[in-house]
Amino acid sequence: MREKAIVFEVNERQHCTTIPSHRTLLEVLRALGYVDVKCGCEKGDCGACAVLVDGEAIDSCLTLAWTVEGRAITTVAGLGNSNNPHPLQAAFARNGAIQCGFCTPGVIIASESLLRKTPNPSDDEIRFALSGNLCRCTGYTKIFEAVREMVLTRSGGVLR
Amino acid sequence: MQTRTKLNTIGRNTHRKDGIGKVTGTEQYASDVSVPRAWYGGVLRSPHAHARIASIDTSAAEALGAVCLTFADVPRVKYNERTNCAPPHLYRDRYVLDDTARHVGEAVAAVAAPTRALAEKALRAIKVEYEVLPAMLCAADALKDGAPKIHETILYRGKETPIEHNVAVTRLIEVGDIEKGFAEADSIIEREFEAAPVYHAQMETKSVVCKPAVDGSITVWATTQSIHNTRQLLAEIYGLPLHKINVKKIAIGGTFGSSIQMNSVVPICVGLAIKSGRPVKIATTREEDMYDHCRYQVRITLKLGFKADGTLVAGHMKTTVELGAHNTQGYHFLGVIAGFWVSLYKLPNMKYEGTAVYTNRTPSCAMQGFGAPQATFVTEVIMDEIAELLGRDPVEYKLTQYRGLGDTFWGQGPTVKSIILSDGVPELLEVGAKKIGWDGRPVPGTQTGRFRRGIGMARSFHCSGVGQPRKTGAEMIDYSGAIVKLNEDGSIDYIQSLMDHGGGTCEAIAKLVAEEIGVPLSMVGISDVDTNTTVYDITTHATRGVFAGGAAALKAAKSVKAKILDYASQLLDIMSESLVIEPSEELGQGVIYCPGYPEKRMTLGELAKYLHVNSWGTIAAVESLHPVTAPPAYVTYFVEVEVDTETGVVKTLAAALGSDCGTVVNPGLAAGQLTGGLSKGAGCALIEAHQWDRQTGELASKGFWVDGKTLSILETPLLENLHIDFAHTYEPTGPFGAKGIGEASINPALAAYSNAIYNALGIRFREVPITAEKILAALSTKKVRRTQPAQRELVNS
Ligand code: FES
Ligand code: FES
Repeated sequence: MREKAIVFEVNERQHCTTIPSHRTLLEVLRALGYVDVKCGCEKGDCGACAVLVDGEAIDSCLTLAWTVEGRAITTVAGLGNSNNPHPLQAAFARNGAIQCGFCTPGVIIASESLLRKTPNPSDDEIRFALSGNLCRCTGYTKIFEAVREMVLTRSGGVLR
Repeated sequence: MQTRTKLNTIGRNTHRKDGIGKVTGTEQYASDVSVPRAWYGGVLRSPHAHARIASIDTSAAEALGAVCLTFADVPRVKYNERTNCAPPHLYRDRYVLDDTARHVGEAVAAVAAPTRALAEKALRAIKVEYEVLPAMLCAADALKDGAPKIHETILYRGKETPIEHNVAVTRLIEVGDIEKGFAEADSIIEREFEAAPVYHAQMETKSVVCKPAVDGSITVWATTQSIHNTRQLLAEIYGLPLHKINVKKIAIGGTFGSSIQMNSVVPICVGLAIKSGRPVKIATTREEDMYDHCRYQVRITLKLGFKADGTLVAGHMKTTVELGAHNTQGYHFLGVIAGFWVSLYKLPNMKYEGTAVYTNRTPSCAMQGFGAPQATFVTEVIMDEIAELLGRDPVEYKLTQYRGLGDTFWGQGPTVKSIILSDGVPELLEVGAKKIGWDGRPVPGTQTGRFRRGIGMARSFHCSGVGQPRKTGAEMIDYSGAIVKLNEDGSIDYIQSLMDHGGGTCEAIAKLVAEEIGVPLSMVGISDVDTNTTVYDITTHATRGVFAGGAAALKAAKSVKAKILDYASQLLDIMSESLVIEPSEELGQGVIYCPGYPEKRMTLGELAKYLHVNSWGTIAAVESLHPVTAPPAYVTYFVEVEVDTETGVVKTLAAALGSDCGTVVNPGLAAGQLTGGLSKGAGCALIEAHQWDRQTGELASKGFWVDGKTLSILETPLLENLHIDFAHTYEPTGPFGAKGIGEASINPALAAYSNAIYNALGIRFREVPITAEKILAALSTKKVRRTQPAQRELVNS
């Protein structure tokens, strides 16, 4: 089994960890204690494992850990915490966009990735950006409302 | 309608207490639990649909340092993993590990090792010789004369009982006289239906952690809908006293019925922990989960007789249910199909014959709706057809026949009978019809062109729990307990083992407690609990959480309130009957006072502190409650679809969903239950089916979530086209007038979609899912028929 030490950053903390070549980023993050990154399928089907790598959402279960060498990863816990939640996190909580909450970390990460690239997305852009995240509980309505509310607040009430 | 004049928190949107933890990723699920020095557990699963284990050699795995578990290492105790049924109706047919595999993916052996890599290696090192047996992959094969037996015997009422022809259980239920009923009918209609098995697709797969202690006790964190049932069953299997097993309540990542029973990996993990003397954790993969459970496959023939004026006079239903390899709750499931069927419409004469068959496939278990989606599918599609034959509007026709206010209904099987005391059906049908544009719907079969639109409606219900007047002799156990405690600062601990699957059940119950005692919601804490510190609660299932679990907590809150008033009356020197408690947002406290006497006043905090420093003791109450009714939580669906006749794809354009859940405790969360129900329901109606290879018994999906997949946001109707309404009803037997909601929210979906597609195309689909392939095939063979096909098939008696 080939192993090597790689350096990367998670939620602004440096890590240097020895990792076998076949381990996915999801496995490594959860083993390091970042259990806010959820494991839903390990096959790229559900989006529960999404994290930001240099600001862009990826499925960590489809990413070999070696490939994030030198890059900065943000998990949902890195976006905000209970004392100081990220505006998206607050919007999800306010809108009841959560039921069991298992899909939530991935959905918030996907939303954040969208909003970083496209600060004022159209409804279709929101739907498309979230189409890789499965949620069995909510029927997506309130998730959509939460993201749209964020967009509205940011754009001062103007929807595209 | 009877309501309380002033409610402080019930009926208002409040932010759920667990919300912030879930959005910031700190909520802990069983898969997130880590215990120092825990070993990784893994399960070796059968590649064969039916095989006897001729030999199993774990020596190579053990040489690697792993601890191994086979059928020889676990107690030979036959059990049923779901213990909600009262013992006379429990069919026990499984072991923790067995010497026979009855479906692909069934556990054969397990290992625990210090690292995940080593556990994976050890699994590969186990050598198993299988004696492959013929596999029966569908009911027809299993029922064939001379078909090999999937189970020779099962344990039933304390005796090993032979299973003949792979028939696990049958049920016959009769009311009135159908011969006479059909003889009185002016017309008779008979149709066949089929609903495919569906994977629950809850987002979290099953996980379990077991930590043994030196005194032989164990602590367990498991994905489950009932911590107490898990504990009792582990005690039964491993012969431990209950006090030595502590199961922790922990968040669950969706379940939809898939964890009513103790999950199969739980006793395996416990076995590994006991054998190794170390903490062990098992987290199953998605593929393992898909092989672990699915919804029952159901075939139903329904014959209905009715008068020329539409009055239903007789019904005969025959049902065949495929159980898969184990009979988790076949007896009860057969009963609820009958119950949901006859409780939708008044039927003076009925006969029901149900058969549940073993097959060598993934075991089935309850999934949201538990029999109601299938019974509703059959009934509501046939009622739509009868209305059409009679030339009547289905909404108007159904309102003349349905079971509503004052009628008896069955809910979950023949022992769960109650009288309907609240009924929002007429109101919901009126509102839904208006919002969807029911009167402007097309005439079936009149459209041409590629895209055709249709509107369909269906109504259903779920019973709130499984309560019934008789406490003995019922099929099901149904009670909840709760503890409510006044803390020394006037805040309240609400302590209950009842699980919240994400719908906000515990949140809603905290509101009931706050409302009853008279404190701000912020002063009620939902305690982190386990089996050692709580009293029994059966399970969160059958949409009973708020209705039954909430009622138990309310009972405890009432008793706490009575004690508070008693002490306060002594301290304020005024009779307790003249005192009231109200929340004061300003003080952040409950305030006890006597209207008209401003000096007779103290906060709950002051009272509690007084009791504390003067050693009067703690005010607390523990209560258990068995509900004597299971009122119907009605749901109505109107859906508008667009069928693409070139691709066969059905798109949901709009939906108007109505719920009669009595008093709405938290409107925002309640609406979320309905949108979730629609999403899953549309998936089951149009796409989802668990399929097995007919040769190998392997899942056709190979563990991927893409075949028959869960609907994504792209298949969800646009927000502006989604209408949700609640009936203005008050359930006299429910806590603050509330009844169930969550489970009911999916029930009408199959029928509503079938009726909508009929409205668009003029073709009836009686098999779900109604996939694009089925639509294309039907379009190409039938063309579009302008005449009404059902009329010719109608038999006039
Ligand atoms: S766990 Fe990565 S997509 Fe499902
Ligand atoms: S909230 Fe449960 S899966 Fe999305």
